[in-house]
Amino acid sequence: MVLQSLCALRAQAGASLSGLPAALEHGGPGAGLVLRSLSTDVFRNLALEDWIHDHVDLRSRGVLLLWRNSAAVVVGRHQNPWRECDLRLMRRSGVPVARRRSGGGAVFHDLGNLNLTFFSSRGGYDRRRNLRVVTGALEALRPGIDVRATDRFDILLDGHYKISGTAAKLGRTVAYHHCTLLCSADRRLLSSLLRPTCPGIHSNATASLPSPVQNLLDNDPSLTPDGILQQLAEQYLTEWGVRGGSVVAVQPDEQSFAGIDRSVSELRSWDWTHGRTPKFSVHTTLELADPTGAEVCTATAHLEVKSGRVESCELSVPPAWLPGAACADLAASLVGARFCPLEAAAAAAPFLQSEPRDVDLDARLRNLCENIVALM
Amino acid sequence: MAVRGLLRCLSSNFSSVLPSIAPSVQHSPRLLTSLSYLHRTLATSSRLSAALKFTDKHEWIRVEDNGLGTVGISNFAQEALGDVVYCGLPEVGAKLEQQDEFGALESVKAASELYSPLTGEVVEINTLLAEKPGLVNKACYTDGWLMKMSIDKPAELDALMDEKAYERYIRSIED
Repeated sequence: MVLQSLCALRAQAGASLSGLPAALEHGGPGAGLVLRSLSTDVFRNLALEDWIHDHVDLRSRGVLLLWRNSAAVVVGRHQNPWRECDLRLMRRSGVPVARRRSGGGAVFHDLGNLNLTFFSSRGGYDRRRNLRVVTGALEALRPGIDVRATDRFDILLDGHYKISGTAAKLGRTVAYHHCTLLCSADRRLLSSLLRPTCPGIHSNATASLPSPVQNLLDNDPSLTPDGILQQLAEQYLTEWGVRGGSVVAVQPDEQSFAGIDRSVSELRSWDWTHGRTPKFSVHTTLELADPTGAEVCTATAHLEVKSGRVESCELSVPPAWLPGAACADLAASLVGARFCPLEAAAAAAPFLQSEPRDVDLDARLRNLCENIVALM
Repeated sequence: MAVRGLLRCLSSNFSSVLPSIAPSVQHSPRLLTSLSYLHRTLATSSRLSAALKFTDKHEWIRVEDNGLGTVGISNFAQEALGDVVYCGLPEVGAKLEQQDEFGALESVKAASELYSPLTGEVVEINTLLAEKPGLVNKACYTDGWLMKMSIDKPAELDALMDEKAYERYIRSIED
């Protein structure tokens, strides 16, 4: 390899990097390349990961991608977003949920969190080595800091606080391992969002393992995201013996990465983010009330949700509160609708408006419907 | 490699039989049942290994008597994956082109995509895997099958590797 001329190597690099902006080719042939995404959109960055995975020849060179997102919750490929995060609160707060293609558990991203993706050939896949880059960088910045990778490939600060979680995807010839790094994330928002949308979810989807977390900035104010980012890049290049490498900033747009826009749409689609949830059921009680709140009643609801849509809905409401037939009709109107408040409400609307009803009966039916929709 | 893999699967069956060889009247019927199961496994496994075709993505397909293809992953693949914790399988009725991604296996190591060995329609998925994803590791050629599909283009089978070719292929990747 040493004997190959620089021209030949650059030509090789050119062939494998076709589609990437010319600036990237100046990164030079070598054992490693560090990219930094200029986008803070979680869907675009996930699409960029996929693009690099699908298009870049990683047999002779690895790539480290550094990226940050505005607030988002990212769930693992086989997870249940209703169980992993409070989708209602997220909608109100404008925080999207994204589903990545790798496995693992749910994480909260915001600009105070750094994401690292280590791309390699399948043979070169080595999570422990990658995490040494992270712990090595932190130790270089703050000598004596207690950061250690666990058996589960988390990184713990002071043996106790999780500052990084890991997930990975193995493709045919290529692998990527990505991890988070909590620098200065909004921990209050993190803990308020990472809780279930509703009680009573039963699912065999992969579960998350909650851990106490801490920001590196709390441990040492000098550990800023930018400072850490720079040190990570240097550590990566050192680990892989690349001399004179630098961080290349990329704008993950369609012009430079042909096909990325379509990937962004797919990742953003409800069918991927919510519809890909393994089949689950919700079994819970509903607290029903009259408009005045003077009278109340407890009912139960059981819904089966498949591919994000209501497959069946059973309501048990005391007959003194509402006639069984009306409840059954309301339940039937929801079957086939997405397990999503807007669509479910729209699906129930024709039934609710279908016939003139006694005012009290109507109010109670609407209240029942609202309670079911509130689960979503 | 596949044959050695099969033998490894078998030896793990055998080692689960060994504890039953204890001098006890109670154990005897179970021992007999275990041995006859092992006998059957040996017999069917040799038949299995002759009928399996492999893809370069480490899936296998076996043509059944009813003309359907049973699909799974090879021992090489399950070892590389590590303990499977979740099987993401397609819907029955899904139409697949050869090499289409049809699902993913999530293991402690990573999520790994599954690629269809042939063109056809998904007729059945292994529902046991929902509760017991570990079957893919323990019995990758038998109880750990992933799905059954129709074989719409039988000619595609000819291009797949037989066991010997797959063994050579594995050796070449490992180098």
